[in-house]
Amino acid sequence: MIYYPAVPERGRHLFYPCSACTDTGPHVQRKVTLRDYEIVYIFHPSLEEARVNEKLDRYHGLIAGTDSGEITAVDHWGRRQLAYPVQDQTSGYYVVTQFTTDGTRLPEFERILKLDEELLRYLIVVNEGDLTTTPVPPQPKRDEDEEGDDAEGED
Amino acid sequence: MRPSRKTCPICESGRRTVDYKDERTLGRFITERGKILPRRISGTCARHQRQIGTAIKRARYLALLPYIAGHEG
Repeated sequence: MIYYPAVPERGRHLFYPCSACTDTGPHVQRKVTLRDYEIVYIFHPSLEEARVNEKLDRYHGLIAGTDSGEITAVDHWGRRQLAYPVQDQTSGYYVVTQFTTDGTRLPEFERILKLDEELLRYLIVVNEGDLTTTPVPPQPKRDEDEEGDDAEGED
Repeated sequence: MRPSRKTCPICESGRRTVDYKDERTLGRFITERGKILPRRISGTCARHQRQIGTAIKRARYLALLPYIAGHEG
């Protein structure tokens, strides 16, 4: 529902300011859409854990600072073998982080990540989770049936 | 002769989504050369085959799975 405040004085405004808008001046529709994301970092294997945590703190400040966004989970996989060499390294330090943020902050976040030479690779994906998918009906088995479970479901 | 109908291994395991970080599960859906198995071999349902395809490609990028396996230098 859209709520219009009283008619602005002397008709100076072209648009009615929205309730979330604190700026004066031309009306700016500010829309913050928070989404769940997941990022996997692969750090250089020579980095120590303390150093990795230091970097993570800095990065996470970019996506979860101040008003919108938060870090929901950080999972350190530690050092593990890579399936193929990446930047001449055969192993890497993996960290998986789940977070919620406004998507407009991601380009700047990625720009900072690309500048880091000790970050071999990263992957940011939208974390769909299990919630957005509709359940798959169990396929009826042809050969073996559990008794009396879903007798009418079969063709 | 028609081959016997297979059921989707992902559906059977009771999961709804395929996780790209779970390389042990994804490893079942690639050939020894690292190619993605077709549905006619693996027997997965259409939805899960799509998810597996995406997941394997993500896992490859993250060096969890090889792009090409089993070749020496």
